[in-house]
Amino acid sequence: MWQYIVKRMLLMIPTLIGAALVVFLLMQVVPGDVALLILGSDQGGDVNLAELDRLRANLGLDRPLYEQFFSWLWGIARFDFGTSLWSGAPVIEELWIRLPLTLEVALFATIISTLIAIPLGTLAAIRQDTWIDYLVRVVSIGGLGIPAFWTGILIILFLVIYFEWSPPLVFVPLWEDPWENFKQLIWPIVTVGYRNAAVAMRMTRSTVLEVMREDYVRTAWAKGLHERMVVIKHTLKNSMLPVVTIIGAEFAFLMGGLVVTETVFTLNGLGSFVVDAILHRDIPVIQTLILLTAFVIVFANLIVDLVYAWLDPRISYR
Amino acid sequence: MLKVGAALLSFVMLIGLWAAPSVLAGEQPRRGGIFEVALAGDPPSLDMHQEQTFMVAIPLGPVYNNLVMFDPHNYPQIVGDLAKSWTVSDDYLTYTFKLHEGVKFHDGSEFTSADVKASWDKILFPPEGVISTRRANYEAIKSVEAPDRSTVVFRMHHPSPSILGNMAHPANFIYAKKYLDSDVHYYKAHSIGTGPFKLKNYVRGSNIELERNPDYWKKDLPYLDGIKYYIIKDTSARAKAIRSGRVDVEFRGLPPTEAEGVLKQLGDRAVAAYPKAISNWGVSINVDKKPFDDERVRKALSLALDRYDMAKTVGPLTGLETVGALMHPDSRWALSSEELQALPGYGKDHQANLREAKRLLAEAGYPDGFKTVLTNRNVKLPYIDLAVYLISSWKKVGVEAEHKVEESATWSQTRVNRDFELLVDPYGSATVGDPDELLDKFVTGFSENFGRFSEPVADGLFKQIQREMNEQKRIQMVKDMQKSVLEKMWWIPGLWWTRVEVRSARIRNYEPQPSHWMNRRLEDVWLAEK
Amino acid sequence: MANVMHDGQIAITPRQLQDMELQKSWARMYAWPAIRKFIVTKPLGTIGGVIILAMALTALFADALAPYDPYEITQSLQFKAPSVQNWLGTDEFGRDMLTRLIYGARIALFIGLVAAFVGSTAGAFLGVLSAYMGGKVDLIMQRVMDVMLAFPLLILALAIVSVLGRSVPNVVLAIAIPIIPRTTRIVRSSALSVKENMFVEAARAVGSQHLRVMARHILPNVMAPYLIMLTAQLGNAILVEASLSFLGLGTAEPTPSWGLMLSGSAASYAEKAPWVAIFPGLAITLAVFGFNLFGDSLRDALDPKLRHRT
Repeated sequence: MWQYIVKRMLLMIPTLIGAALVVFLLMQVVPGDVALLILGSDQGGDVNLAELDRLRANLGLDRPLYEQFFSWLWGIARFDFGTSLWSGAPVIEELWIRLPLTLEVALFATIISTLIAIPLGTLAAIRQDTWIDYLVRVVSIGGLGIPAFWTGILIILFLVIYFEWSPPLVFVPLWEDPWENFKQLIWPIVTVGYRNAAVAMRMTRSTVLEVMREDYVRTAWAKGLHERMVVIKHTLKNSMLPVVTIIGAEFAFLMGGLVVTETVFTLNGLGSFVVDAILHRDIPVIQTLILLTAFVIVFANLIVDLVYAWLDPRISYR
Repeated sequence: MLKVGAALLSFVMLIGLWAAPSVLAGEQPRRGGIFEVALAGDPPSLDMHQEQTFMVAIPLGPVYNNLVMFDPHNYPQIVGDLAKSWTVSDDYLTYTFKLHEGVKFHDGSEFTSADVKASWDKILFPPEGVISTRRANYEAIKSVEAPDRSTVVFRMHHPSPSILGNMAHPANFIYAKKYLDSDVHYYKAHSIGTGPFKLKNYVRGSNIELERNPDYWKKDLPYLDGIKYYIIKDTSARAKAIRSGRVDVEFRGLPPTEAEGVLKQLGDRAVAAYPKAISNWGVSINVDKKPFDDERVRKALSLALDRYDMAKTVGPLTGLETVGALMHPDSRWALSSEELQALPGYGKDHQANLREAKRLLAEAGYPDGFKTVLTNRNVKLPYIDLAVYLISSWKKVGVEAEHKVEESATWSQTRVNRDFELLVDPYGSATVGDPDELLDKFVTGFSENFGRFSEPVADGLFKQIQREMNEQKRIQMVKDMQKSVLEKMWWIPGLWWTRVEVRSARIRNYEPQPSHWMNRRLEDVWLAEK
Repeated sequence: MANVMHDGQIAITPRQLQDMELQKSWARMYAWPAIRKFIVTKPLGTIGGVIILAMALTALFADALAPYDPYEITQSLQFKAPSVQNWLGTDEFGRDMLTRLIYGARIALFIGLVAAFVGSTAGAFLGVLSAYMGGKVDLIMQRVMDVMLAFPLLILALAIVSVLGRSVPNVVLAIAIPIIPRTTRIVRSSALSVKENMFVEAARAVGSQHLRVMARHILPNVMAPYLIMLTAQLGNAILVEASLSFLGLGTAEPTPSWGLMLSGSAASYAEKAPWVAIFPGLAITLAVFGFNLFGDSLRDALDPKLRHRT
């Protein structure tokens, strides 16, 4: 098994480098650069072309492309992720400030939504086409249909208008002050969690339905109560495969996809950070973040595959 | 009888003594408290000399002093900050400043004239690798000398009526020579100044904390214990933070509808101010692209705009609510209303203007109008809202303008490359809006003249404006210059901006100034009891 | 191997012949009875279908249905509450909400349909190609898809809009591109399972061209996952456009797109003029609701031909 894991990790490398290269090239194609933004802030400002050139030289933007990319790549190999062109601080430092928040929201949203979704989805499948099924489907489709940012805005508006309260502005890690942390993060967790629960619920329902249609399941079901318990356990085990896939995929996408949530709830997380980086054309930051996201996604896929194998012994490591 | 009288008198006196403190309490500054501000984003670096954004000016204002500044309680008077007093020579070529003594930097070292010279040399003559973004404003200054520890002398190339105002610009922080000598970029990541507050902590993306400087050289100041700037990127979220009491004020300005929401919720716990900012949003025309090389077409575009209706429509949404020419309409440089209404597009008979616009277009060869592209910056207020109105107006004369919205970085590149036909183009002043600062935009070859037009009459007038010390003469020249640009409609003015600054009613001794850069030192501001 | 006769000819059983012919005339023989059956057995799906139909008709006949001009600015009508003149009220520029919502249906359907169609079809094509070709082509294609999947959707959209600017075609592109790798994955696994099938071996043995084989045998079998993906992405596309507009990256003013209407007014004007924020939100929710209900029931109906592996 360890061989398999190592092999998968090694296969990750070309993917990651490919992604970083794509980002780098994309940034060269995109018009505008960070120097223009620094000089042209606020109302546009007086973009003195001489000053622009000096700033670009300062930031190393005038070096040839391949040099810029490879020096960054070489840095990565030594775990030096470069310096932000916008703030001058090491990229690692910038990431470290924001990682705990995003991680916490992603993790808790995924856990809570999974805990809700799997039982409900299974129930809906077992009681297909009854009112429970309809209720679950309507609720889950609602979770998908209502734009996430809209829910967030409504929540904040409600809290401010009726309770004259808004969540705390500064992130406090969970281990330092759980209550303060809770006050800030419960709302985004709930908002994101609802949507994720909806996705997982639907997936659970449809896979359970599918498994239930198998002949062996139908036979066991017809046989009676004791068999039903066996069936439920067996059905669940088989239907979990794609559900696990979905959950893994959703978690990975959460890491990069929390952008909207973080904007609405004023969270200093990785999502809004990557948006800022793109708007600022802060190339080292963008590249590092994409690398990080790609790594998380590929890693999540690996975990999912391992769980797959554990759940279904027929699958072997190829 | 006497006893009753005496008792009554003492009773009245007691009442008086009891009431008096509460009467005086409204005037006595209260010490302590943390002042909380909502800030729109992170400062790219901490060195104001090298940056262009209010995101540096606002949080770092309290950390430094300038040489001279605008009186925070008496705009637009200029008073000395580190300068105790100054004299100007008769030929206006020499400015001599006497500095305060006993001033210390936050690290305990003594402040002297050498620090002023080092800071101003950095601004005027930046060394290799250092950016000085506002350098052009000080082109009149020839040199800075420090003959003794408490005297600084500025020598000029030519007399300049605006130079003192430019020097009082909030961005001209005085740094310590010691640190500038060791590393010319020191101040990008550090903050050692002479100001009333010291930088305590900065968590990027989250907040900037300042704490009181107990050894501040102005006696008994500051009153506050500290200031905290929370970085809140979403405009609506900043307004909500004021409403829930998490912050006391937002320093740049809120959209009018958000301000309304705050006032409605907090009632008399909030105060709103509507300073008339010196900021104008208009349209830059690329005069080398057909059909904009034709004066008639440019005039038609301006005639199609009913600026008075525009002000009423867009004003409540964005704050763009004042009609004017190229200088601020409330200033002494403004054109009179007769002069204004004589310009194409400022007349009050909008129907007549529309007819005239169509006639001009037909004469220029476009009886059915034409298609064009309006390039804009991806910022909703006021850029995008203004453009929506402009596009709708131009449609009425047959000009179909496609709205091309670009990211700030892309838009910046577009301006520099001149890759546009029409461009939403703002300009303004963070100080007093002197003609030197505002009108250089309309001079041939100047970097902010994005449309790259050339009006020789305006160029000639501007040269004189920069040197004319007689104000009456200068005013006339400024008016003439505005007319020369607008009669041929080289640049289409839109509207002037009114800032809406909403703050907690607990804040005392603070009045918002026209520019969101000004009055950010907060050295004598205090917070009343809740 | 049983289908090859000793003289080299291919034997096809009557059942197989029937299946092949049925696949060709699927539409003719199955469509109408299938639709009837669908309506009866899947009421939720039918509701979804009706919603979609209503939306399509609104979009098609927008010019006739809309009472006003969606772009006309009227200062005196700013922020007017719903009334007899303006059934759903007016927005911050005095433009009629009902009119803008009607035209918004056109834009939502356009964006949703084109993005989902382009993305799913391109993805399906690449998936089939990848599965069919196998070997090196498959390996490289999969790595490329992995790289594309590594980009969170919004980041990719941000980059695309930054380069190309905000407009309807660019938004369509930004939404379509992330759909491709996701569709490729699903379709590829379906195609892989079919590839092993006898038909294909047989057909290739006879010498049929690659394209013919792919079109005739593989395509019908991947139709189901393709359709599922398509309907799923349709609703999603509308949501993504709304999120992009919220971030300031979707369609640009004065386009009457629901996402733009919702995001522009959502936070700032919701208190002052709730109708400006509520109705676009309702429209989006209803549309996505409809697409998902329909898509769900469609998936249920096509059940036996499915294999879930996202």
